[in-house]
Amino acid sequence: MSEQSVLEQMRADIQRALAKPPEQRHWAMIIDIRKCVGCHACTVACKSENKTPEGVAYRFVKDAEDGEYPNVQHFFMPNQCMQCANAPCVKACKDGSVTQGKDGVVRIDYARNTGDPKVAAACPYGVMSVDKGDYYTDGTPKREAYEDAATFEYGDKSGRKGKIGKNRKCHYCLHRVEAGMLPACVSTCIGEANYFGDLNDPKSLVAKMAREKGIYIFQADLGTKPTTKYLGADAYSCAKCHE
Amino acid sequence: LSAAEMYDLGKAEHIIYGACLQCHTACNIKGKILNGVLVKIDGNPYSAMTMSPHLPYLTGPKEAAKVDGHLCPKGQAGIQSLYDPYRIVKVLKRYGKRGENKWQVVSFDQAVSEIVNGGKLFKHVPGEENRVVKGLKDIYALRDSKVAKAMAKDAAAVGKQKMTVAAFKKKYARYLDTLIDPDHPDLGPKNNRFVIQNGRIEHGRKEFSKRWQKDSFGSVNWYEHTSICEQSHHIGYNEFTRKWDKGKWGKGKHHMKPDIYNSKYILYFGTGAFEANFGPTNLARKVTQGIADGTLKIAVADPRFSKTAAKAEQWLPLKPGTDAALAYGMIRWIIDNKRYDKQYLSCANKAAANAVKETTWSNASHLVKIEKDGPGALLRASDVGLGSKEEFVAMVGGKPVAVDVHKGKAIYGDLEFDGKVKGIRVKSAFTLLTEMARSKSVAQWGVVCGIAEADIARAAKDFTSYGKQAVAELYRGPVQHTNGFYNARAVIALNVLIGNADWKGGLQAGGGHWHEDGSKNGPYNIKKLYADKMKSFGVTLTREKHKYEDSTLFSGYPAKRCWYPFSGNVYQEIIPSAAMGYPYTIDALMIHKGSPALTTPGANKNIEILQDLNKIPLLFASDIVIGETSMYADYIFPDTAIWERWGTPHATPDLLTAVSKVRQPMVQAMTEEVEVFGVKQPLGMETLLLAIAEKLGLPNHGRDGFGKGQPLERADDWFVRMAANLAKGDKPGTEVPAAGREEQAIFSKARKHLHGYAYDPKRWRKFLGDDMFLRTITVLNRGGRFEDAEHAYKGDKVHHQFKNQFNIYSEKVALARHPGTGKRFNGLPISEPVLDFHGREVKDAGYDMTLITYKDIVGGQSRTIGNYWAQGRELAENYILLNSRDARKLGLKDGSEAKILSASNPDGMWNIGHGLDRPVGGKVKVIEGVRPGVVAVSWSCGHWAYGANDVKVDGKVVKGDQRRGKGLCPNAAMRIDPALGDMCLTDPIGASSAFFGTRVKVVPV
Repeated sequence: MSEQSVLEQMRADIQRALAKPPEQRHWAMIIDIRKCVGCHACTVACKSENKTPEGVAYRFVKDAEDGEYPNVQHFFMPNQCMQCANAPCVKACKDGSVTQGKDGVVRIDYARNTGDPKVAAACPYGVMSVDKGDYYTDGTPKREAYEDAATFEYGDKSGRKGKIGKNRKCHYCLHRVEAGMLPACVSTCIGEANYFGDLNDPKSLVAKMAREKGIYIFQADLGTKPTTKYLGADAYSCAKCHE
Repeated sequence: LSAAEMYDLGKAEHIIYGACLQCHTACNIKGKILNGVLVKIDGNPYSAMTMSPHLPYLTGPKEAAKVDGHLCPKGQAGIQSLYDPYRIVKVLKRYGKRGENKWQVVSFDQAVSEIVNGGKLFKHVPGEENRVVKGLKDIYALRDSKVAKAMAKDAAAVGKQKMTVAAFKKKYARYLDTLIDPDHPDLGPKNNRFVIQNGRIEHGRKEFSKRWQKDSFGSVNWYEHTSICEQSHHIGYNEFTRKWDKGKWGKGKHHMKPDIYNSKYILYFGTGAFEANFGPTNLARKVTQGIADGTLKIAVADPRFSKTAAKAEQWLPLKPGTDAALAYGMIRWIIDNKRYDKQYLSCANKAAANAVKETTWSNASHLVKIEKDGPGALLRASDVGLGSKEEFVAMVGGKPVAVDVHKGKAIYGDLEFDGKVKGIRVKSAFTLLTEMARSKSVAQWGVVCGIAEADIARAAKDFTSYGKQAVAELYRGPVQHTNGFYNARAVIALNVLIGNADWKGGLQAGGGHWHEDGSKNGPYNIKKLYADKMKSFGVTLTREKHKYEDSTLFSGYPAKRCWYPFSGNVYQEIIPSAAMGYPYTIDALMIHKGSPALTTPGANKNIEILQDLNKIPLLFASDIVIGETSMYADYIFPDTAIWERWGTPHATPDLLTAVSKVRQPMVQAMTEEVEVFGVKQPLGMETLLLAIAEKLGLPNHGRDGFGKGQPLERADDWFVRMAANLAKGDKPGTEVPAAGREEQAIFSKARKHLHGYAYDPKRWRKFLGDDMFLRTITVLNRGGRFEDAEHAYKGDKVHHQFKNQFNIYSEKVALARHPGTGKRFNGLPISEPVLDFHGREVKDAGYDMTLITYKDIVGGQSRTIGNYWAQGRELAENYILLNSRDARKLGLKDGSEAKILSASNPDGMWNIGHGLDRPVGGKVKVIEGVRPGVVAVSWSCGHWAYGANDVKVDGKVVKGDQRRGKGLCPNAAMRIDPALGDMCLTDPIGASSAFFGTRVKVVPV
């Protein structure tokens, strides 16, 4: 056990970043798949934090089995918005609602967004969706109050209603990050597999991890320049899940 | 607004800390509340369970609000268990037959009056027009605590044949009508005919409810769920660690765990760190850190390639239930290659251990008497004229020496001895273990467990390559078998061979907890706060904690059913024993937070019995929904959900520092408000018991329930006192500081949406006094009391140490007999196949595959199916997992529909009554990660109630949600013990129910 928890180290990194002007920050995530245990806590924490409905998951975990008995391998691979520097969704968006912030995070302006399915389809990673207005409690005796509670996405306290019919995706929980907290998937992760922070700060844990061997960029050949990257024992184990 | 001002969920006034219970680990959680609604749950950063290192205890709540700890998906999804559209909030009484799911809403007062007074309660139901139900007032036959106390002692003497039945009858002539059977006074009073069967009840409620049933109503029949979980693991540890105390075997530890952060090698037997165990939230990060840093190697022995196996260097896909054989293969290799810690094992007592910097020792060198039918008692110094009855004997340089384990001078015993001492034939415990290990070669052990010799040798070599920093860990997998106790003992023996206990990176007992019951130093010692403590007595319905030979029912072997002197909470025995009327019939059964109609192996047999009005004449349940078991009840009393109520769960020993959790209401309960003892309170389990106590005139509840002037009228009367005990600490001078102004303000702001039993500061302050009230706020503001992380270690050891003896040889077990065969149990671990109660091997020819179950992390057993977030996507359904080789043979493919058949369920059907049968079947998934010949099914799907079905309430149909009925529950395919015919196969020592090992066929449908 280290002196300071990984969570507290990263929170300190965020505090340093928040002390800088926004344009000098570059929020980034590195997912260490050696430490992902395929538990789906991130998926559920994200759903709970952002109150996403059935059919919308900002973050989900794929898994793949490889080999033949008894020489078996099993890989787990979280997926989410890659916050691409060269984002296909931004290009595909005609209404101007999907933009990239100076901090690297690709944002959706719900007020302007028209929920164009082509924008979601432009994402080669399959991590953007359209909120069709479904509720998990559809078909049960009761809609529950938490389903329409404030989500705080992009610093807005409105609930679900204004997001129906819109494009939706991961935003690194910017509303938490800017309040000095870690993204929900990062803090909940029971394997401590996610590293988050300011890539522009060489002392930050995420910058340190970005310098590790074994960094894997999902579909690097597309030229999308993702900010979300993976760390694995080898590229094979990452690629296996992404097949 | 700045981002921090905007984000309400990062503010202390929106946060109440509590404890989860979506699985039994009960992690510390942080509830975030908006407008009285719980909208987000995270891990509590103050607790070692949910962060490493956790925040120092005195960190202010404002700062802690910014730190979310870790939490697993089930914990996160708790919101959907709380806000489940199928929650019940009012009392339901059946107006159809049991299990027909026709209900009417009745008033709480009416329902409690009916179960207390009895009568023709169901005359509106065809066939029950004239059935008179006995009420609890008639079952509550013996009411005089002094008489009960005297009778208890004499009844036990009658069982042991130290008093005659005639003498007993004469002495208690006036009270014979209060007994179940005056000719068998050791069965106890009629009060025992009321049984409380709990599932996952936990500390706080456990003590509250036990105090009600045992110490107030006077029934011995109070149970929880452990034997369907992992009881033989507890009992295996208990016998290994039972303390020798003043000439008697005292209590042992039930659970020990690796110090993962400092372990270099962990071999998991039938468990892991990422899916279930105790539990993933606190275990996972320690393992992943070690693996990523390259400081920890893990190996997994499991027929299924678990998520933990995915990170392991070695997977040992053993045959289900052969863990002892694998362990013995390793033991043989370790002994042959002299890789055990000889110095440690030669320590015969404490002084010897301490002199070589060990804190624990074993009885490896102690001598065991060899009798005609096998090893028996440990040799006492008094047997050979060397000392007292309290001393054992070891050979030192070939000469016998008396061993005082706690106080004597250092003795280093010879490990091997086989000979006579003063004419008595003896062997050392180590020699016995060696002989057992050498009864087969490593390769032969490998044949038994299905693992190649080289793989066993590799595991044994790895295990013995890291000194004290290696651990063999076990949980459910090896023990839910008829041989579970022995499997557990064999795995634990590996640890003793390397003497790893209390060492950094070794096996350790955990940081423990402060005593919320106030028994050490608390202002409220629950063990003493009674108005009139009743003495419950008699043989338990499950015959647990009682010896067959010490009862008037003894009539040679086999007994009618098993007796379990070594174990407790034998969940699967409760309903079938009541049905057989052995040792007696029952009149009423209350089921709380458990679902025996779903969660026990062979649960379908329980369903038949629960529908039988003659066998279970009165059946009422305390539940949060209409579940698979409560649907058969006569009355369902809505319970509060865990986020609405109080509790004081204990911590897993995986945590090295002390952790005392407090569960407290985060939101106002949605159950109906009722009045009990003149106090308005939401309906919940405590309320129900209090109301029955009020109507029955039961002592120890009500205005003077805790003694004169100290009321126990509602749940917070109990739990706020428990929190105060924690604030006070176990030793004088260890109280937590009083909350200052800022913390007091946060305390009240965070609770502004609460009232009554959930938040009543004026009343609390009045009975706690100003000083204790403010200290208790400090505890409640943090969701418990937590020792700071710096106290985890002491030099090269853990700080909280076991410091006692490991019993490689368990004398107590060796001296007991199997109630089904009359044969002696073995004091050593042994390897044996699946046996029925009469000791016959269960082979089930023609059924050529073996069924195992496992828990997927997104689902609990019976209570998480409404968690739509966690059950989303591919997680919504479970599968029949088959190895590709088996699938090819059977002509099955991914997605094929199939059924699981067994010798005791050859049709593969769940008969759930009223024409609602469903197959033990579902979709096949073909994988490589399961041993060929083994069928694996996970454990949380296959519901037919719990919101999955339509029910009728007051004549209106409430439509079920089909999503909740997906997948399958394999329990109905599990083997019924052929010697009993009404209950699953069971471990006669540890009492675990056999979840694994049923021989099955998988057939396409």
